[in-house]
Amino acid sequence: MIKHRLIATLLVCNGNVVQTRKFKRTNMVGSAFTAVDFFNGWTVDEIVVLEISDDLTYLEKFVSIVEELSRRCFVPLSVGGKVRDLTLVHRYTRAGADKVVVNSGAVARPGLIREIAAYYGSQCVVVSIDAIADTEMPSGYRVATDNARAAQNLDAIAWAKQAAAEGAGELLVNAVAHDGDKRGYDLALLRQITASVTVPVIAMGGVGKWEHLVEGVREGGADAVAAGNIFHYTEHSTKKAKEFMLQAGLPVRPTTFYKLNTPRRVRYAPW
Amino acid sequence: MTRVTIVDYGLANIRSVVNAFEYLGAEVTVAAEAAALGEAERIVLPGVGSFPAGMRGLRERGHEEVLRQLVLGEGCPYLGICLGMQFLFECSEEGDEPGLGWFSGSVLRFDDGVGQPKVPHIGWNDVRVLADSCLFAGIESAADFYFVHSYYVPLASEAGRATPGVCHYGVDFAAACERGNIFACQFHPEKSQLAGMKLLQNFLAIEPERA
Repeated sequence: MIKHRLIATLLVCNGNVVQTRKFKRTNMVGSAFTAVDFFNGWTVDEIVVLEISDDLTYLEKFVSIVEELSRRCFVPLSVGGKVRDLTLVHRYTRAGADKVVVNSGAVARPGLIREIAAYYGSQCVVVSIDAIADTEMPSGYRVATDNARAAQNLDAIAWAKQAAAEGAGELLVNAVAHDGDKRGYDLALLRQITASVTVPVIAMGGVGKWEHLVEGVREGGADAVAAGNIFHYTEHSTKKAKEFMLQAGLPVRPTTFYKLNTPRRVRYAPW
Repeated sequence: MTRVTIVDYGLANIRSVVNAFEYLGAEVTVAAEAAALGEAERIVLPGVGSFPAGMRGLRERGHEEVLRQLVLGEGCPYLGICLGMQFLFECSEEGDEPGLGWFSGSVLRFDDGVGQPKVPHIGWNDVRVLADSCLFAGIESAADFYFVHSYYVPLASEAGRATPGVCHYGVDFAAACERGNIFACQFHPEKSQLAGMKLLQNFLAIEPERA
């Protein structure tokens, strides 16, 4: 049986891992490497790393961070931020990304989704949708881009359907108002999207306690649940989240420890 | 130091496989040409992409002949991952290019008709370990591994009947193959965290007969 995935999200701004609240950066968390090492040990099922700086100044540093992350990330790694065409998609995948996340670039030019899917397969394209509640839109949700600074004249549900039709392998759904505010996912938004598309949907934004992960699956219909902030300051955080989901009766990959004989210091050949 | 040679045929992103073996302390060589394969102690053939394009890549680079000699002739341990497992068979529903044909049978596409699960099969799924197995030694039955594929090896095939591990996705299929020095898995051990790394370590522990 296919399991519901628990995904850890890392936001990288100006070369540092940060936390956000309603898409505003709040504080630095520290090293991306330390975070990924812990997530690996604590049985997270997938890692999403997004570059959210204001401009391209720190892109080279970000790519080098992705390369280093991929050397210690033995779960699928999704990488996004600043993707406008295939050039950066190639760079991210060469750096070790298994999937590429697109957002503003796909809204500006939906054909981008099809281009990536044609080259790498649909399983490689995750379309990230940032939604703002807005009663003027038919579904009650409007799409926002550029780190939620630019409201688009685009209905969130209509965009979800279009993105799936263009060849998105998965949708990553974030409600801007819920980001970092610990009240749980926007379940009404999730329900609408999961009812409208057949591709897997990842819920993101707002997890303040482990119950919210279960709600995302049970009430929102999400295939996978993601969180960022909550994982950073809790000991064995992803492991505890997993155990909570298991106890709630959700099919998730259990935490089983296997001892590996790894060298104390890994020696990497130059790439 | 344990040595492992990874076959590069121009298509697959082999980086994560290299990373995983380096993490386990192996000395990794990447063989982009057949000449670089000759000294291999253990061979790993990773795979993402399409069966016909992958097989053409193997043939154009001259890998097929060297692989046959090393693996079938000299007993060099071989691990095929994903497409690297499907290549072992005679053909695939994905295209007309023939496979290596070391195992009889063909690779089939998942049926995505009404009432069937979505294709491709992507995500963590559990593998029932059936038999004594080198690959799965010390790994509990029903451990989850990470799958990404649209084609599968049916249990009805010769290799499928002898499979050490079965996975279910609409249909039961062979999650792995083992015969002598030839090993393969449909899932991606390099992306399957501890269980996958344990499986790769099991492969590294298999002593080559030559050397």
